[in-house]
Amino acid sequence: MNQALLLLLLLLPQQNDGSRLTGHVPPAALPGVQAIITRAAQDSLPTEPLVEKALEGGAKGAPPDLIVTAVGAEEARLRTARDLLRGAGAPGPYATSEIQSVSLALARGLPDRIVSKVVGAVRDTAPGFALHAVADLSAHGFGQDSSASLIVAALKTGLTGHRLLDVAAAADREVQRGSTRMQALAKVRAILPAIPSQPVLPGAMQGATRPKKGGG
Amino acid sequence: MTHDLDPRIHRALDGELDRAALTPEERALVERLDAAARALSDVPPVPGLAHRVMGIIRRPFESPLERFRRWVTSPHPVTVSLRPVYSVIIAVLFVALLWRTPETGPLLAEHEGVAQFVARFPEAHSVAVVGPFNDWRPEATPLSDDDHDGVWDARVILPAGPHEYMFVVDGERWVADPMAGKYVDDGFGRQNAVMEVQPVRSE
Repeated sequence: MNQALLLLLLLLPQQNDGSRLTGHVPPAALPGVQAIITRAAQDSLPTEPLVEKALEGGAKGAPPDLIVTAVGAEEARLRTARDLLRGAGAPGPYATSEIQSVSLALARGLPDRIVSKVVGAVRDTAPGFALHAVADLSAHGFGQDSSASLIVAALKTGLTGHRLLDVAAAADREVQRGSTRMQALAKVRAILPAIPSQPVLPGAMQGATRPKKGGG
Repeated sequence: MTHDLDPRIHRALDGELDRAALTPEERALVERLDAAARALSDVPPVPGLAHRVMGIIRRPFESPLERFRRWVTSPHPVTVSLRPVYSVIIAVLFVALLWRTPETGPLLAEHEGVAQFVARFPEAHSVAVVGPFNDWRPEATPLSDDDHDGVWDARVILPAGPHEYMFVVDGERWVADPMAGKYVDDGFGRQNAVMEVQPVRSE
């Protein structure tokens, strides 16, 4: 009886995933995608990012084999992200958004060792903003190790969450003012944690709508 | 068809005026009217007359919807009895709601923020933003260009954190936001733009 219930619980989300995919993903890609989703669910990985990747491929008109490949690559990244969180001693269980943000940081080109270093430095909060602050710096030409060091230093001064993005933005502004990248990192590190925050524009909510998933 | 009856005749028929005071012509008219009244009272009642008359003058059939519309649109006196303390509480809640609305809006959860998507496509007839947040459906989140200057925008409430997205121009051309500055390979041979959504309420 208990086994039947467990099987039902495992199958239910897959059926929902399947119904979301039908009509939006080429039929030829469905078996391969479904197999990956089933494997991920059995390994307690989040399946929503896999469904989204398959829907993305369908919407972009990608060929079926490429959709299966992309969903498989997404699953591998999610697995690596979950393992990096575990390895860094981040307290579980991990939310889908948490694993997904680490996975996206990997997709943006951060190597495992940098992700481990940053995740290990983040305590009691999700590492997404810290990782993407490092990824932002890296994308603007800063060295990955020195970028990670700056963000870890910022974490130690008590800055968390989206304020870490302000740190990356501050370093970028120093470069725009004429500093070399090394000088910019040093200047920002010297004023931590007094980093100016980006203002929230008044009326930011006006006309904002909440997007809907799974329509038609 | 109606006839105006001479008030003197009327009063004589009601017994308010002595018939001796009437002229011979008036007295003759009164007597004819008396005779007609007596003749009518002697006629036996027609069977079913009352039913037929009521059938003619009965209100036409009204559906429940029509009755409801009539009830809603006709005036009714409404009396509300409220203790003053409740009036004060309602007023305070109303003011608090108005106070919060312009700043963040009551709809945002703690870790949500507003993503503002802005794109310049002067020749476009339609622009939409797509991403995992709307299952990549071009019809889900259109941008608007109310002043027709070629700058399209939309504000979307999203969970705080990084989000991949693309623009879809005229329903068929997929474009990574050239102003995003952050991109990631999409696995399909293109790049998605990446936007960091900051929570409106600080952590």
